[in-house]
Amino acid sequence: MTITRRTFLGTAGAALAASGVARAEDSPVRVAVIGTGGRGSDLIRALTTVDGVELIAVCDDYPPHLEQGAKYAGPQAKTFSDYRRLLDELKPQAVVIAVPLYLHYQIASDCLVAGCDVFLEKTMCFTVAEAKKLTAQVSASKRVFQVGLQRRANAIYKQAQAMVAAGMIGQVTAIKSQWHRNNSWRRPVPVPKSDANWPKLERKLNWRLYKAYSAGLMAELGSHQMDVANWFLGTHPKRVIASGGIEYFRDGREVYDNISCLYEYELMATNGKPYTVRANYTSICNNAYEGAAELIMGTKGSLYLTSAKGLLFQEKGTDVVSWEGSKDQQAADANAAIVTAGKTLKLSNDPWAHRGSPFEIDIAEGNDTRDELVSFIDHVRRQDAKTICDANVGLADCATILMANQSVESGEWVKFA
Amino acid sequence: MKRTSYQRSITAMSTRFDVFLYGSSAEYDEQHLEAVAVAVLEEVIRLDGVLSRFDPRSEIARVNREAGKAAVRVDRELFALLETCEQARQATNGFFDVTQGGGLELDENACTVRLAGSDARIDLGGIGKGYALDRGREILRRFHVTNALLQGGTSSVLAVGDEAWPIDLRHPINPDAIVGRIELANRGLSCSAARHNDRQASDVVNPLTGAPLVGDDACVVLAENATEAEIFSTALLAMGREAAELYLAKRDLTVGWIDADFS
Repeated sequence: MTITRRTFLGTAGAALAASGVARAEDSPVRVAVIGTGGRGSDLIRALTTVDGVELIAVCDDYPPHLEQGAKYAGPQAKTFSDYRRLLDELKPQAVVIAVPLYLHYQIASDCLVAGCDVFLEKTMCFTVAEAKKLTAQVSASKRVFQVGLQRRANAIYKQAQAMVAAGMIGQVTAIKSQWHRNNSWRRPVPVPKSDANWPKLERKLNWRLYKAYSAGLMAELGSHQMDVANWFLGTHPKRVIASGGIEYFRDGREVYDNISCLYEYELMATNGKPYTVRANYTSICNNAYEGAAELIMGTKGSLYLTSAKGLLFQEKGTDVVSWEGSKDQQAADANAAIVTAGKTLKLSNDPWAHRGSPFEIDIAEGNDTRDELVSFIDHVRRQDAKTICDANVGLADCATILMANQSVESGEWVKFA
Repeated sequence: MKRTSYQRSITAMSTRFDVFLYGSSAEYDEQHLEAVAVAVLEEVIRLDGVLSRFDPRSEIARVNREAGKAAVRVDRELFALLETCEQARQATNGFFDVTQGGGLELDENACTVRLAGSDARIDLGGIGKGYALDRGREILRRFHVTNALLQGGTSSVLAVGDEAWPIDLRHPINPDAIVGRIELANRGLSCSAARHNDRQASDVVNPLTGAPLVGDDACVVLAENATEAEIFSTALLAMGREAAELYLAKRDLTVGWIDADFS
């Protein structure tokens, strides 16, 4: 397949076209936020900047978080400690849910029953069985439903996905992604250890560290990145083998402080023959050198992606379109016109000379958390169930990350559920 | 009582932030201090993502993109900070001004901001670090860390607690020279210099004229909080020493100057 700049930019342009701008005549969408901790507060702040949103209520069963959420939300927002009361009293049109993972299914399900459109933070559910039930419920209810995998709203990832689909990096043969940090992943507790409430509060605030509430690094971090693999490859993995453990932060936590996974995806080549793409994923908590990124490797190039930067490294000696311009003046002029019009790629001064000069995806305007909410609200207003990250995407993502945890526990290859 | 301590640093706001924490009792052990330090620094990183004019994903970049066009709906936190900036502009007779090339219109009811003039830009470089440190202090309070030093970019410092932290002031042009020591307790400190040893011209402009500052003076301000210290060190430096002395006669601020000819 020959890729011209025009076909590529056409694809990319289509990916960028969607935008949700409220018109003056639209009545505001009445939104409530359930869960006002760290992530919930991010979502509240973002929602208050979106035109056409009326934030009518915030809810949290932990008073300090509720107080924080109410401050960000503003005086028009009522406060609740019980989401069921909120649903009964205010009947919001849409809810945004950012609660610990083990509560996702119950709260999202109750909100759907109450007739709300639902934005549910990732990971969609605590178990695949719950995710399947919720997917069926969404489809039966015909409500607008979106999972908070915000790379789906990120201009860099949308562009990169269009580039992969247009064949710009050739056949994708491998994916390597990681989220590496260097801290204990522990939230502080606001009472001394001698306080009778400390153990309870500690588990509540550090729910991510305990298996009764959390699926650990895979759910909190890996879900974003394995969704990128699913999205770009257009399918879910066939099987996975993974290893993980608690090797450094032996502080009473139950979820692994490091995990390493090897996923296999079965794809079909253009000649009709099947082949396997292997995707490596690691997450560790005591070295941040590699940070958080996905590397999509194809026969003609690689895409290095983070939520702030997207770089294209071309493989040497392949027949890809030359982005470095032509000595032929006429061609150079034509190229310049297209590049300006599309505003897609610029030469980067990246120091990794041995990889060749990368091109940078130059469309990083907008914050993906805000953009995913703009898109959700737009779908709510139009009652369009085809959200950028619907229940089926959320279900596949949920099954993808949970199968890795299962493999760690069994020590064996685990098939996609 | 065994006293625990914890130190952590990150790069944010194009500079370095450090936190030094002391446990107020054995119950607030190193594990607690680490978690608090991470929470403080994550707040700094979050604010960098909101306030940076260089990051196209930031809220300030979004406001700047709409300069001369629409009013932009911002969140309540950013609106309050921009209100603080506007109050500071008025209180300093325009010598502290976060906008360049046009005024800032704030609509409290709609929670919107609008930059008048398509070339107008907001630059929170003269307040962002101090604001981040003050937000950090709120986190320390919530988690009972009562003795700490928060530092942003080696020019903004916030000392928390009654125990004094020694702060050495370095000469902006002769970095080897220490011009004095300040014992800082429960105060914010900010030091602004017109010129640094690695720069020929000042990167600080007089907001009233738009011209880069001349002279090699540096101004040190101690205030109730780091935001105020940063506002006034920026404004007084722009005023110039003489005008600043007159201005200060009516205010309760602790101000020091580092002379250009200090050797």
